Amino acid sequence: MIAYIVRRLLHGVGIVLGVLGLLFILFFTVTSPEGMATKALGEKAPPEAIAQWVTNHGYDRPLFWNPESWSDTLLVDHYYSMLSFDFGRSDADDRPIMDRIKQGAKPSLYLTVPLFFIGLFLSLSGAMLVAFFRGTFIDKAGLVVSVLAMSIPTMVYIIAGQYILGKVLLWFPISGFDRDPTMVWKFLMLPVIVGMIESLGGGVRFYRTVFLEESNRDYVRTARAKGCGELQLMTHHVLGNAMIPLLTQVVVAIPHLFLGALLTESFFGIPGLGAAMVEAIHGNDFSTLRALVFIGCLLFIVAQIVTDIAYTVVDPRVRLK
Amino acid sequence: MLIQAHVISNYVVAALVVGVLLLGIGILRSRLWRRSLGTLVKRRPIALGIVFLYILIALLDSVSWVGGTHMGSRGSEGADLVSLQEPQSVIDRFFPRDFQEEGYAHPFSSTHFYTDKALRYPGRHILGTDINGRDVFHLSLSGARIALLVGGLTSLIVIPIALFFGICAGYFGGRVDDAVFYILSTLASIPNILLLIVLVQAMGKGTLQVCIALGITSWVGFCRLARGESLKLRELDFVRSARALGASETRIIFRHILPNLMHLVLITFVLLFSGLVLSEATLSFLGIGIDESWGQMVDLARLELARDPVVYWNFFGAFAALFGMILPVNMLGDTLRDILDPRTLSEDS
Amino acid sequence: MISWRTFLGLAGACAALLACSNDPYPARDAQQKILYSSFSSAPRTLDPAVAYSVVDHMVTGNVYDTLLEYHFLKRPYQLIPGLAMEVPEAEILEDGRARYRFSLREEILFQEDPCFTHFHPGTKTRRVTAHDMVFSLQRIADPKVNSPISSTLIRILGFAEFGKRLQQMRDESEAFAALPVHGQYEEAGGIEGVRASGDLDLEIVLDSAYPQLLYWFAMPFTTPLPWEAVVYYDGNEGRNAFEEHPVGTGPFILSTYDKYARIVFDRNPNWYGALHPEWQAPGATYPSEGEAGDGEAGLLDPEYVGRPLPLIDRIEFRMEKEDIPSFAKFLQGYYDASGVIQESFNMVVQEDNLSDEMVELGVDLVKSVSPDIYYLGFNMDDPVVGHKAGERGRKLRQAMSLMVDTEGYTERFANKRGIPAQSLLPPGLFGFDESYRNPYRQVDLAHAKRLMEEAGYPGGIDPNTGRAIRLTFDTPDPSAQGRARYQFFVDSWRKLGVDVEIAATNYNQFQEKVGNGAYQLFMWGWVADYPDPENFLFLLHGPNGRTASGGPNTANFNHARYSELFLQMKDMPNSPERALLIDEMLKILEVERPWIELFHRENYALYHHWLANVKPVGLSFSTLKYRDLDAPLRARWREDHNHPIRWPLFLVVLLFAAMMVRGVQTYLEERQ
Repeated sequence: MIAYIVRRLLHGVGIVLGVLGLLFILFFTVTSPEGMATKALGEKAPPEAIAQWVTNHGYDRPLFWNPESWSDTLLVDHYYSMLSFDFGRSDADDRPIMDRIKQGAKPSLYLTVPLFFIGLFLSLSGAMLVAFFRGTFIDKAGLVVSVLAMSIPTMVYIIAGQYILGKVLLWFPISGFDRDPTMVWKFLMLPVIVGMIESLGGGVRFYRTVFLEESNRDYVRTARAKGCGELQLMTHHVLGNAMIPLLTQVVVAIPHLFLGALLTESFFGIPGLGAAMVEAIHGNDFSTLRALVFIGCLLFIVAQIVTDIAYTVVDPRVRLK
Repeated sequence: MLIQAHVISNYVVAALVVGVLLLGIGILRSRLWRRSLGTLVKRRPIALGIVFLYILIALLDSVSWVGGTHMGSRGSEGADLVSLQEPQSVIDRFFPRDFQEEGYAHPFSSTHFYTDKALRYPGRHILGTDINGRDVFHLSLSGARIALLVGGLTSLIVIPIALFFGICAGYFGGRVDDAVFYILSTLASIPNILLLIVLVQAMGKGTLQVCIALGITSWVGFCRLARGESLKLRELDFVRSARALGASETRIIFRHILPNLMHLVLITFVLLFSGLVLSEATLSFLGIGIDESWGQMVDLARLELARDPVVYWNFFGAFAALFGMILPVNMLGDTLRDILDPRTLSEDS
Repeated sequence: MISWRTFLGLAGACAALLACSNDPYPARDAQQKILYSSFSSAPRTLDPAVAYSVVDHMVTGNVYDTLLEYHFLKRPYQLIPGLAMEVPEAEILEDGRARYRFSLREEILFQEDPCFTHFHPGTKTRRVTAHDMVFSLQRIADPKVNSPISSTLIRILGFAEFGKRLQQMRDESEAFAALPVHGQYEEAGGIEGVRASGDLDLEIVLDSAYPQLLYWFAMPFTTPLPWEAVVYYDGNEGRNAFEEHPVGTGPFILSTYDKYARIVFDRNPNWYGALHPEWQAPGATYPSEGEAGDGEAGLLDPEYVGRPLPLIDRIEFRMEKEDIPSFAKFLQGYYDASGVIQESFNMVVQEDNLSDEMVELGVDLVKSVSPDIYYLGFNMDDPVVGHKAGERGRKLRQAMSLMVDTEGYTERFANKRGIPAQSLLPPGLFGFDESYRNPYRQVDLAHAKRLMEEAGYPGGIDPNTGRAIRLTFDTPDPSAQGRARYQFFVDSWRKLGVDVEIAATNYNQFQEKVGNGAYQLFMWGWVADYPDPENFLFLLHGPNGRTASGGPNTANFNHARYSELFLQMKDMPNSPERALLIDEMLKILEVERPWIELFHRENYALYHHWLANVKPVGLSFSTLKYRDLDAPLRARWREDHNHPIRWPLFLVVLLFAAMMVRGVQTYLEERQ
């Protein structure tokens, strides 16, 4: 058991190093620091200021190999700063990236946590409803609606939500955010509702398959043959046993919880990490982008390891590979 | 003399069509496949028809040549001199050469939307015109080619690579498996959309770049699947007996493993396809999509929807075309999965 | 039971929906004199020596005062004294050097801030002296600060030397580098041409007369800075960084700075205007005169004339990244003023006036022309379109210039908001001639075709290849919107047989192309830093070439006579001789066509009737201290116009219930 956990952890470390390598190639070998400097300082900046910026940010150092000092290269620096969580300063505004992450995490969680749980709850209830009425018109209608819903781009949901619920019906503020906890729920209503409707289609379809598969298993049939009520069957047997695919789904969602929803945050003006990422993309702020991507990956890897270990604890037959 | 790009693309299209036909004939020779496809045709005739229509449009739009005539052209002054020397596709030729107005026009309208100036082709723009006066119906049709390119080209990149690595890892196991598994886990650890964005940022904008980026992000899932399946197949009796009879590894892979993965390939292809086209739409919002794709049209049109009075036809054209393709493809994918493989894939989608 | 739980949840959600309103602000603020406005991207820095973008100035302009200011109402722009007692005049010294003397007002205080308590226990603020100005200018010269205007002020005596000396001393001695910055500046000997000759007197000596210098003293770059703030706010030990925590003398104090969501200012009780209304200082009093038409526009209301500023108590800026939701909030009364977004233009403006719908809402409109120029440029280093192509290239540029229909462009993409540019000088600047019509900026297809033939490209065919001449249009804007815009130009050149390809890359790649000179055609804009023609004409001065020197001349235009005229014109005071020189320069550009001038932006600003004293400014300076608003009126209006429509909610609930009932029915039937 211990050996397995150690091996799993080592594997995780290997993957983190690999991800970092990939990020280094993507972020350092293909970008020009002068371009970043011009974006950061503005079109009117004179060339001396640009050169100074590049020096101040250390982008004039060698990439892989420095004959004077092996550790003074961007590669070593990249690994060191990422692994020590010392992300340095943003290329766009020179502020510590860690501050931005700390500032942005809370709004992102405000948005994604309720969105995730309400969405999960509704998807599960919807799927259960559809599975419960399987074969009837509710099932068919539910399936058609979910495929329909899945075929619509996110942007369309957001625009329609803002227009109908915000502009025409005047239910909620169309956009905005407030860090004051007594005000924040007001701003979250609209994005949460929109995000929920968006995720419902895929969710219902996925969990329906899970439930149907589960309810065809022998133990369910036995229970049914013993005269167990259909409702009780659903809530007690099927739901309980569908937990493993459900848990996997939750794990996959964790980095997204933290990083927020890229489009939703941008459109609703929520100052979270998703919006920070879109800003970094548009503003050519590679150092922030790199840090955010790395954190997303790291969370994902950690979550995976935790679930893998949890699985083995629960069921020793399940092993890596 | 330098061979021009459109000539090459014509040959490529021809080769592709011939290839697909040959593949189709090959598949139809197997009774199992014939029966499955028969079921598919019976269960989803409309969806299948629509998808074929899209493919046809995309193919017609990919065949082009310089010179020749357009339907319904009328010579007028101030015409576009450059287009005379540009290759025009079959779809282009269904429309007049100068089928362009001076700004927005409502569907079937005979005047411009914001001014009362008469249109050059009154009543002929069945989906109206966009901000630069181009016919939306024409643009929507041309989008099919891009969508097929995004879905098709990327799948062409993804499937062979994923199959190769998946089978190698699954069949040979050991070090090979470790290496492939490592690459897979590394790539899978970067959330998809992030990797996509970073890749396009790094490689730059362009059709091929976007396809490669989409390819890199989407081969992981299928590779895992192929690996798992070949791992299972390796232990099955018929593979074991083939090995016992002294068949070479290549032969086993090509004769026994690969054919038994073909249904997965087909299902993956269909399901991947719609996902890729939708991903391109998200990239378009971030300004890194492919020019003239439906995603870009939707992105442009989202602001027009907020216009007052509303300019809806651009959005409608692009959205209807996109939706009209994704919906039948998704339905076909679902049905195919039911028919070919009711169990393996259900947990993975 | 699931269904019960579901129903309970639904009921709860409904209750929450019923209780919700769309008011984004706390109810307690409704009756306050708070101005609500929006911003679309976070400020980069609030360090006044560095801040250069419009959003940066939106913040620094309220917090930092300048020695000189622009008159709120008068156009052409006129300088008035701010913290200085009067606008100085240049004194020419014997050796050709020029001296400017500023005398500061007495008894100006910095805003209250803990940094003063830290260095001078028991005090919360400090008096402003000329030494704070000296310190501020030294910071601009400091290479570590990396100010974008350090190369502009290089004509101040000893300015560059001071920067170099500072750098050198820092490199040589660690002890020196460890000193607080104001100590370092002192030790390095200061800037020769910047001296405080008394407690309140500042002397600036330049190598020659430089009339535009005064404009730089009307921008937040040159605000007096307390060294205490720069030293104290170093970002260490939980202290903020100076670029996030401004300490100034301005009419407002930055009280909340959550730069990705919300920026709030409150009145500064220590502002000189608030402490000494009896001074009637020009920068702290509502003006009594303006340009023609201001009286009719209600900008010289006797209620306001001569009143001490500021008139509002608080300013709230909220982040709005997308302008559609932001505009919708304006229409709901939650923002006091707004631009007109393109999408809603036809709803808001009809035949150049406000639509009836807007008039009914009580919205007002002001228009103004911004001192800027948008243009298409040719890279003059390019062998096909540039200098090397000689007469052929010139004819090609002329022909292409004749095809670009600016009015068509602005009509399509800017609702006709834009004055077609005849030359690079915008209206309101010295040298602008209203009657001038550039012969190459009128659309003329026949003439253009003739020029193409003369250039050796009949029908656009390049005799070398037998195909249409092919050019590339480079842009850093890969969005669909950008593409649609550039397509307009491409379409018009196609009529000439010129095949232009749009190469949209990301920003980095574009900069790289520009840096390497590997570009042909581009679109760019320039907004004036100050209202002087020199600020536009220098954009085509040969030695400012972008590829060669990284300068602002992105077209790499290099014309001996033009450059000669520019050097003559640049430091001259406005006079008939200067006008003649400018005229000749414009004539050169008319024929040479390194640019195809497009338009000068026309701004349409909307504001609700409860807001008073709105006059748009093209230059980047803040006028919020002049604004006033009627909060009770606003609160009433908001209430009247924001009644939520609730019936669809009940409809949805009803539909859901009906479906459930039907489903249960079917289910029961099937079981039997």
